[in-house]
Amino acid sequence: MFTGTLALLVQHLKKLPGIGNKSARRMAMHLIRMNKAEAIALAESIKTAVEKYRNCSVCNLLSEDDPCQFCRAPNRRDDLLCIVENTQDVYLIEETNEFNGRYFVLSNLLSPIDGIGPDQINFPALCEYLRQHQVKEIILALNPSAEGESTINFLAAELATEIGKITRLSTGIPFGGDIEYTTSITLGNALKRRYKVNDQ
Amino acid sequence: MLRNFRNFSDVEFDFYKSGALISGENGTGKTNLLEAISFFAFGKSFRNCHDTDLINFSSDHLHIRGEFVKNEHILQFESGIEKNRKKISLNGSRINRTSNLYKFIKTVYFSPEDVEFLSGAPVFRRNFLDQALSQYSFSYLELLRRYSHILKQRNILLKTEYENAIKKSWDKQLINYGSKLIDCRLKYLDSFIPRLQKNYQCISANRENLSLKYRYSFPRRESESLSSDLEEYLEEIAGQEKETGHTLAGPHLDDLQFEIDNHPVRSFASQGQKRSTAISARLVQAEMIRVKDSETPILMFDDVLADLDKIRTRNIIKLLHSDHQIFIASPNAAIYKDFKLKEIKLELLP
Repeated sequence: MFTGTLALLVQHLKKLPGIGNKSARRMAMHLIRMNKAEAIALAESIKTAVEKYRNCSVCNLLSEDDPCQFCRAPNRRDDLLCIVENTQDVYLIEETNEFNGRYFVLSNLLSPIDGIGPDQINFPALCEYLRQHQVKEIILALNPSAEGESTINFLAAELATEIGKITRLSTGIPFGGDIEYTTSITLGNALKRRYKVNDQ
Repeated sequence: MLRNFRNFSDVEFDFYKSGALISGENGTGKTNLLEAISFFAFGKSFRNCHDTDLINFSSDHLHIRGEFVKNEHILQFESGIEKNRKKISLNGSRINRTSNLYKFIKTVYFSPEDVEFLSGAPVFRRNFLDQALSQYSFSYLELLRRYSHILKQRNILLKTEYENAIKKSWDKQLINYGSKLIDCRLKYLDSFIPRLQKNYQCISANRENLSLKYRYSFPRRESESLSSDLEEYLEEIAGQEKETGHTLAGPHLDDLQFEIDNHPVRSFASQGQKRSTAISARLVQAEMIRVKDSETPILMFDDVLADLDKIRTRNIIKLLHSDHQIFIASPNAAIYKDFKLKEIKLELLP
């Protein structure tokens, strides 16, 4: 049943995250059955987006423009830099309305198993960024996974001499969470980094 | 209900609150039945095997169902395994991680191979401790998982041409989680050891003294914290680690030393003494759960009393708490008649 162009389409769709053999087949069947104009519009939009998006030459964010909107924005603080793993993390942080500095995207986290070292997390580009910008505080907004912790430890140690203040996101009880259902590593962290009630 | 589980093609068993004495000739499936009961405690076999090994040779899938009564609530577990796929559900809702099962049913399995953790390599003793602690405290399991992951990453890094700053980023975590892990073990042993000594004294009729020590894989100074001792030693052996490509100190290399009257059990104890030590340790494992969670785990004896004399067997029965549900598997039911359990006789299948 799935031969020729259709088999090729299935193969390509399977490369998308969360898409297995079955879903890929279902999507492929759907695409060839659907309204031709709509299907072609979909294909075109994929093509345009893929062609237009590139890494920002300043902060490495995936963006249609180079430099990206965050690097160009005149009303953002230059002395505050938030380091994230992926482009989508930037949008999540933007949604909080709590941050008005610049961003830098690492694209990866340190992981010897995957062969990811300083070059793969864009460390040289980050150093270049810091040479050209007057950054006073760095916020490491990375996952608290083993790989995230390793990356945090590495960056904090390497940048300690140049940057006055290096912080990371706090790890503790989630908002609306319940102490009873918090694991003890998390609860331990929350206790260790408790804050004064007036600081809310 | 067991369908295509090991040698059982389709059977149902009903047990008393007190448990059962499972008898039958060799190869009738006595251990398999214990394995099925404890499957719902861990979501996997207590034998070190693949899930697919549990499937009957004549089939490509298995289905088992088990009903447990806990604090007057009924817990109905179901599981199906087929090639590369395993599904476990509790009261109709799916359980995604086997470790989420740990909190429902607690079992302690007295294996004939338990003497190995006394005479064998340190890894057997660590596994005993890790398993007992994971069942005892979910946080330990969480720490252990994190530590093992960090260890794997660090070992791979050590085999490559790494930058020192990168190694340090892993060292920091290894030391942090490693010392937390050791700390949990020590706290557990603090209440484990006196109980172990008491049990062993009772089994040996006050004739022998059993002691247990935690052995560090790095020099430990009482004046310093665990983490600074580990950190210092890792710095000292950095060259060696680079050469071998392995992390050479930490909880993954620590050991337990059992001693009877100040002689190491590993090299000096008799078979009967080793067996009594192993049984004492398993009994404390159950007792620790009982004290912490006020629930009595299910005990499963896989013919472990066969090489003990009558007095020791009688003393072990004395140690058992009356609330435990007990399952015993043995081809010689007569040895276990003092347990006063209902006998279930398994027959060889044609």
